[in-house]
Amino acid sequence: MERTDNLLRMLRTNYIASQDEILDFQWKNYVKHTVSGIRVDDVDSYREALFVLLLSKENDSSIFTNIVRARENARSVQDYITKELWQNLNDYYHLIRSPETERTIREDDPVTAMDLLLRESTLFYGTVDITMYRGEGYAFLNLGKYIERTLQILDILQLRIQDMGTSPNEAVHWKYLLYSLSGYEFHTKEYKNSLATSDVMDQLFFNTRFPHSVMYALLQTDRYFDRLDALSLPENFKEIKFLIGKSISDLKYRMHPVTEVKYIQELIDVTRTQVVMCSGKLATRYFGYS
Amino acid sequence: MSFARLTETYSSPPNIWDEMCSGGSIRPPYQSLVQSLKEISLADLSSKDDMAKKLFMSQGITFTVYNSGEGIEKIFPFDIIPRIIHASEWAHIERGIKQRIKALNIFLEDVYHNQFILKDGIVPAALVYSCPNYLREMVDVKVPHGIYTHIAGVDLIRDSDGSFYVLEDNLRTPSGVSYMLENRNMTYRIFPGLLPKSNVRSVKDYPDLLLKNLKALSPQQKSEPRVVLLTPGIFNSAYFEHTTLARLMGIELVEGRDLVVDNAKVYMKTTAGLKQIDVIYRRVDDEFIDPLVFNPDSILGVSGIYYAFRKGNVALVNAPGNGVADDKAIYPYVPAMIKYYLNEEPILKTVPTYSLDNPDHFKLVFDSVHKMVIKKTNESGGYGMLMGHTASENQITEYKHEVMKNPRQFIAQPIISLSSVPCYIDGKMQPRHVDLRPFALFGPQGIEAPPGGLTRVALREGSLVVNSSQGGGSKDTWVLTS
Repeated sequence: MERTDNLLRMLRTNYIASQDEILDFQWKNYVKHTVSGIRVDDVDSYREALFVLLLSKENDSSIFTNIVRARENARSVQDYITKELWQNLNDYYHLIRSPETERTIREDDPVTAMDLLLRESTLFYGTVDITMYRGEGYAFLNLGKYIERTLQILDILQLRIQDMGTSPNEAVHWKYLLYSLSGYEFHTKEYKNSLATSDVMDQLFFNTRFPHSVMYALLQTDRYFDRLDALSLPENFKEIKFLIGKSISDLKYRMHPVTEVKYIQELIDVTRTQVVMCSGKLATRYFGYS
Repeated sequence: MSFARLTETYSSPPNIWDEMCSGGSIRPPYQSLVQSLKEISLADLSSKDDMAKKLFMSQGITFTVYNSGEGIEKIFPFDIIPRIIHASEWAHIERGIKQRIKALNIFLEDVYHNQFILKDGIVPAALVYSCPNYLREMVDVKVPHGIYTHIAGVDLIRDSDGSFYVLEDNLRTPSGVSYMLENRNMTYRIFPGLLPKSNVRSVKDYPDLLLKNLKALSPQQKSEPRVVLLTPGIFNSAYFEHTTLARLMGIELVEGRDLVVDNAKVYMKTTAGLKQIDVIYRRVDDEFIDPLVFNPDSILGVSGIYYAFRKGNVALVNAPGNGVADDKAIYPYVPAMIKYYLNEEPILKTVPTYSLDNPDHFKLVFDSVHKMVIKKTNESGGYGMLMGHTASENQITEYKHEVMKNPRQFIAQPIISLSSVPCYIDGKMQPRHVDLRPFALFGPQGIEAPPGGLTRVALREGSLVVNSSQGGGSKDTWVLTS
C-alpha cells in the first residue's frame, strides 16, 4: 500500500507537470522504466500511459495490481487486521475496478480519479493508525511500510534524474520531485524555497523531520524493528538490527556531499543495495522465504 | 450540438473588438483552441462547467460574503473558455507595462524628494498635494533600491480598433494574482491535454519571482532574510489570496497582532521568542498600517512599524504612499511623465480623462454625460461610478450635485467599449466584455511581467463593469509562445 500511495502521488504530479510546465513530457520513457510485462511501443499517448501505469492488469507494477495483491494479502491475514481495515481495502479494490474510474482516466480528468484513489489511500493510513492494536502485526506492517518507502524514495529520485537528463532547468525538476513526495511545502518553509540540489538532497536523504526522507524512513524501520526484540530469536534480531544500523550509519557518515549527480547516484545505489539486503534477510529469517 | 456548432452560431457584437472572431472568421490565436475542442458536445461542456464550480468550492478558492452575521463562501465565477493573447500582442503589452511602471516609480521617488516634475510644471503641484493618498510622512524617506512599485496590477482594456488602453495603474495592494494561478490549474483539470498542445506560456513562476524580489529587498545583508506576508485577517475578502501566496512562497502569514516593534525593529512573536523581520509584503492599506502615524483606530497594523521602515530596518512592499501615483486624477499625466522621465513615447494608450475641477471639462462632461463614465479618484472596485449610458436622469442629477460638492474627487472618461470574448453561459456561447490585469514585479534586477494576468469578465449581458464586487467573473488567460 505504501508503494501504491507513492506511485499515485508521483503519477499525479507528473501528469500535472506534463500539462502545465514540462512541455513534451516523455511518457514513453517513463513507462519503459517503471512497467514490466507491457510493450512500450503500444503506449502512444498520455492517456494510454496513465492507463498502463494505473489500471493495466498485465502490468505487474500497476496500481491495480498493487491493490489487488494488497487485498489478497489482507484476506489471508484477516485474523491480524481489523474489520475496518479489511473493509477499507475492499473499498479500495472496488474503486480501482470501477468502470467510472477507468472512464475518468481514459476520457475525463485523470486528476479526479487519482484524487479519489488517494483518498482511499489516506483512509487506509488513518484506519491502520486508529484501529490496529500495537502488536506484532502492527510492527510488521510498519516495518514493511518504511522499507518500501525507502525504496520508493530512491526509485522516484532515480526516475527524476533520468527524466531531467541534461535539462538546464534543474529547479523545475526538483520542484516536481518534491511535489511527488509531498515535500514541496516543507521545502519552501525549511529551505526557503531554494530548490538548490544540495538542499533538495538534504531534505530527501537526511532531514529527519520530513516523513519522506530516506533517513526518516530508516529510523522508523529501526524503531518498529526494535518492537520485535522480545518476539525474535536473538541471532535473527541481532543480524537484521546490524543491517539497519549499518544503513543508517553509512548514510549519516557518507564520504561525499550529495551535490553532484554521480554522488547522488552512488548514494542511491549503496542505500538501495543495503535496504534490499535487509529486506531479504527479514524475509528469510522471519518468514522462512528462501 | 458541439463546440464547433457553438462557435459557428457565436455572434460577436457589432463595432466592438471581439477577441475570438473578426468578420465571421476565427482570429489566429483562437484557431488551435477551436480546432481542439470542436468535437466536444454541449453536455460535456456543461459538465466541465459544473466540474470547475465544484473544484473551486472544494479547493476553497472562494471569497466570503457576510450576511446576518454568517459567512457565506462564494466562488469567484469562472468561465471555462480561455482568453488567448498572441505572442506579439503580449510583447507589446509587456513593453508598455514595463515602461509605465518604470516611469511611475520615478515619479514616486521624485514627488517624495526633489519634485522636479512639479517644479517644471509637468504635473500640477496642487493636484499632488490635494491627493488624499499623497503621504507627507514619506517625503525624503529613502526606500530600498529606490523601488516603490514592487507589485503592480495594470488594468488594460481594448477598444474597437484593437488598441490596448491602460485604465488604471494599481500600485498599492493589487489583488487577483491567485486567481490567475488557480484559473490555470482549473484549465488543465477541465481540458486535459489541451495546454501542452496549445503552446501556452506558464504562469507558475510568479511566486518564485515575487519571493526572489522580496528577499532582495532585505535591508540587511543576510543569506536568509525573514519575509512575512501581513494580512488584515480572515475577514478580508482577499484572504484566500494571502494564504495562497504565503503558502506558495513558504513565508509566514501574519496579522498585525503577531508583530511587535522594539527599538525601531520589527519582530514576529513565535513560540521560540521574538524573531526579527526583514521584509513585509503587506496587504494592509497605508491608512491602517501604523496607528501611531496614520489611522489611530486601526487594529490591523503594527504600532511603530512606519518608524522602523523610515529607519531602514524593515522593507515594506509596496512602499507606503504609492496611492498618489495611481490616483485617477494623476492618471492623465502618466504619458507626460513617460516623456519627461524616460524621453520615450508611451507604448500603451491612455483613455482621455477630464478633471471635473476644471470648469470647461465639467461643462463638456455633463453636456455629453451619456457617453461618459464618471469615477471617484480614490475609489476602486467599481464603486462610486456613474455609467452615463445606463444611468437615469435622476441618477445623473444626484451625481452632478455630488460632484459639485468636491469636484477634485471626480474624473470623467468617454465610455470605451471593452472588447468581448466568448463565454459559455446557460448552454450557449455568448459575448461578454473583458479587461486584463497583468501583474508586474519590480525588483532590484528590473521589472518582470509574468506572461498572462487576470482576465475579468462582466458576466451580465451588455455590462462594462468587470469588478468581482459588481458581479464580474474571470477566465484563464493564455499567452502563446508563438
